[in-house]
Amino acid sequence: MKKVIYTSGIIILIGVLTVIIVSVKLYNKPHTDVLASKPDYEVSAKEIINDFSQNEAEANKKYLDQIVQIEGQIKDINTTDGNTVITLSSESSTKNIICTMEPSENKKTFGLATGQKITIKGICTGFLFDVIIVRAVIVN
Amino acid sequence: MSVFSVFSQERLITRQGYVAFYSTTPVEDIKAGNNQVLSIVDLTTGEIAISILMKSFAFEKALMQEHFNENYVESNKYPKAGFSGKIINLDDILSGEVSIAEIKGELTIKDVTKPMIIESKVTKENDQLILQGKFMVTVADFNIKIPAIVRRNIAKEVEVSFRFIHQPYK
Repeated sequence: MKKVIYTSGIIILIGVLTVIIVSVKLYNKPHTDVLASKPDYEVSAKEIINDFSQNEAEANKKYLDQIVQIEGQIKDINTTDGNTVITLSSESSTKNIICTMEPSENKKTFGLATGQKITIKGICTGFLFDVIIVRAVIVN
Repeated sequence: MSVFSVFSQERLITRQGYVAFYSTTPVEDIKAGNNQVLSIVDLTTGEIAISILMKSFAFEKALMQEHFNENYVESNKYPKAGFSGKIINLDDILSGEVSIAEIKGELTIKDVTKPMIIESKVTKENDQLILQGKFMVTVADFNIKIPAIVRRNIAKEVEVSFRFIHQPYK
């Protein structure tokens, strides 16, 4: 009898510990590692801007929450509150792509100049006047 | 001041406005920010229009961001939130008499629209118009349902702060 109580005590303890560990792990689940992830789509700046301008609902279905790799020309670089934002343009449109960079990319953005060609990978969150990308990293 | 009498520069825009919200309870503080907010102000009429992508809010914890998008604001179904309104004391603002704008308008989240009056500090710097301030939003007003299990973690009213550095529309 004593042994039964002892064993069930241990089982309950293990159970409780497992629940705690899983909860803490889940709570601290890391963000998607964009740098290490393969892109879901590889497009030119022109292509993604066209997709969103022509049919925003369809483009939302395709791109939202996806990792998109975009090649384009740097129109503007600025830093506010420690966040670097790179704006990519396409020659044929007044619309742009606004990419908020991961803080870990800040150093890499120092050497960049407007007009330069660049490839950026990030998560697409939608379309306002411009296509919006977050958590972006520089690929090339 | 002189800039604002030039007709061609009456429309000001920012594509990188900042909006953050802050929920505080004894159990947990939750904060998220979005620096890709679109805001347009027309200084002839005082009209202001703001558009926000819900998915652009960045949280410290990935799990919170997931819950926010999937369960609370359902950002796949309702990707945008918006505000449209009017600065009602525009003349006093433009003359520099007061520096707090009274903005009367409507806030839309999850397709639910509520009237609001928001006070905003106004700063005019060269050709920039900076609006910044904060206001409270009642979560339940916008059809956002918080499950009982996390009810103690999320405030019923969250503080929304904003900063828009508008520049002449080019």
